[in-house]
Amino acid sequence: MHRRALLAGVVLIALLLVVPLAGCASGPKHTEQITVSGSTTLLPIAEQSGEAFHKHHPEISVLVSGLGSSAGIEAVSAGTANIGTSSRDLKPEEGPLGLIDTPVAYDGIAVIVSPGNRVDNLTMEQLRDIFSGKITNWKDVGGEDRPIDLVNRDEASGTREAFKKIVMGDASFDTRAAVLPGTGQVRDVVARAQGAVGYISLGFVEPRFSDVRVKALTVDGVTASDVTVANSTYPIGRTLHFFTKGEPTGATKQYIDFVLSDEVQKGVVVDAGFIPIAMRGAQ
Amino acid sequence: MSPEETRSGTKTLQLVSRSTYVREWILQALFFACAFVFVLAVALIFVFVGWKALPIFTDYSFWKFISGTEWSASSQQFGILPLIVGSLIVTLGALALGTPLAVGTAVFLSDVASPRVRKFVRPAVELLAGIPSVVYGFFGIILLRAVVARFTGTLGFGAFTAWIVLAIMIVPTLAALSEDALLSIPEGIREASYAMGATQWQTIYKVVVPAAKIGIIDAIILGMGRAIGETMAVLMVVGNAPVFPKGIFAPLSTMTSQIVMDMPYAVGLHRTALFAMAAMLFVFSMLLVASVRLLSRLRD
Repeated sequence: MHRRALLAGVVLIALLLVVPLAGCASGPKHTEQITVSGSTTLLPIAEQSGEAFHKHHPEISVLVSGLGSSAGIEAVSAGTANIGTSSRDLKPEEGPLGLIDTPVAYDGIAVIVSPGNRVDNLTMEQLRDIFSGKITNWKDVGGEDRPIDLVNRDEASGTREAFKKIVMGDASFDTRAAVLPGTGQVRDVVARAQGAVGYISLGFVEPRFSDVRVKALTVDGVTASDVTVANSTYPIGRTLHFFTKGEPTGATKQYIDFVLSDEVQKGVVVDAGFIPIAMRGAQ
Repeated sequence: MSPEETRSGTKTLQLVSRSTYVREWILQALFFACAFVFVLAVALIFVFVGWKALPIFTDYSFWKFISGTEWSASSQQFGILPLIVGSLIVTLGALALGTPLAVGTAVFLSDVASPRVRKFVRPAVELLAGIPSVVYGFFGIILLRAVVARFTGTLGFGAFTAWIVLAIMIVPTLAALSEDALLSIPEGIREASYAMGATQWQTIYKVVVPAAKIGIIDAIILGMGRAIGETMAVLMVVGNAPVFPKGIFAPLSTMTSQIVMDMPYAVGLHRTALFAMAAMLFVFSMLLVASVRLLSRLRD
């Protein structure tokens, strides 16, 4: 009896192992594969548009991996990826690699405070001093006499990464800041705490799923908006790039054109909290 | 053991048929297997965690790990002293708040309440013990944190908020165990006290509670185990700043919550440090269990 049970078990496991393989083999044949590698910030855009693209073109599949912008640039120039995605511009030493830049979206980060805060504007320097813990009271930046409560994101956050790179430079974050694991939480906490300051992706400033309001500060006198981020007058913004080795051709070009189409730009891009590339140069 | 033996054995054994005998044996084996699998699982987890944590001695430094005051993955600093202190602050504070409440509840249930009241209160306490911790955390972050934030003008994250949430969480466990301890005191002792002319209050705090002291301390230690290991609810209300907090309303972080925060993206030395922290937690809980065992030996 035992032996029979054992045999049945083995057969079952063997079936479980083999059936999915068989399923794979009989599935649609991919004649072409586009490899997209790079920035984790761009993952949602690349992945979701890749899936949608595959639905339109079943013969082409898009393989997406997020290893970081530098890895993406490295991969595309070495030829191991068709497209390298990057949330930063090329460094001077990467200039001679012969990469063609296709901007696919803009990303802006708003500095938010509670609506009752009297401060309306901070300079980049003040922001750096506040988030590194040098300035600890709102009265030092023109507000009322109230301690500043910092709200930071966790280290896995792409927003934190971008904020650190653009605003903090070499300064490091004050470790006494509260660390919250999500944009929604940052927004919610800042909205209700008089002395709080935090930063979130621009797309989430206006209430979408929440009835509480936050106030986005102007930075260096510039209001954060789709337009000011796209024309680079608002300082805490960046361009998200697709890099290709030489002009894109064939399936790669088809895919990039799809990413730039309204279907993706007004859907995936906006949903992920980014700004469509069509805003470029807008006034 | 063979059937022949059984047949020629005592009368009771003769009554047991062969199929019953086999069934008994299978059940025995089954129960043994249950216990064995469980013990094996614990042992494997311990070995795995220890093995993954081991590089902390070679790639980092155990002393720097234990006594370092900076926890920062981006600068590869993994000092867990602020996290240990954070765990202790949160745990001890919650116990300080929860213990009087729990012992009071237990005394009420065992010595004061009428059977009818007891019928309502006890299920309520038991229900509290069964609520998933994320619900407490949700309550803490949505309601309690906002209230604390309004009254103190801070973010509302910090030890104080965690104390309240944790206290509510551990009171049911503490109360149930303390009540058991109180109920195990023979009725005769209470009667003796009354016979000496003691009032009910005098009986409770001079006789019954002291007599149940060790059982109550047992309960406190187990409550401490739950508090120190609690993760989700704590994560949601402490603010997760790995520093020595400047006050009870300032963000801090604990060992468990830091593990959850960092887990998704930790690689290399960072991951090793997380495993080492898990090993520390293991050691903490082993110490707690050991002290419970020591205490129960004391009681016997």
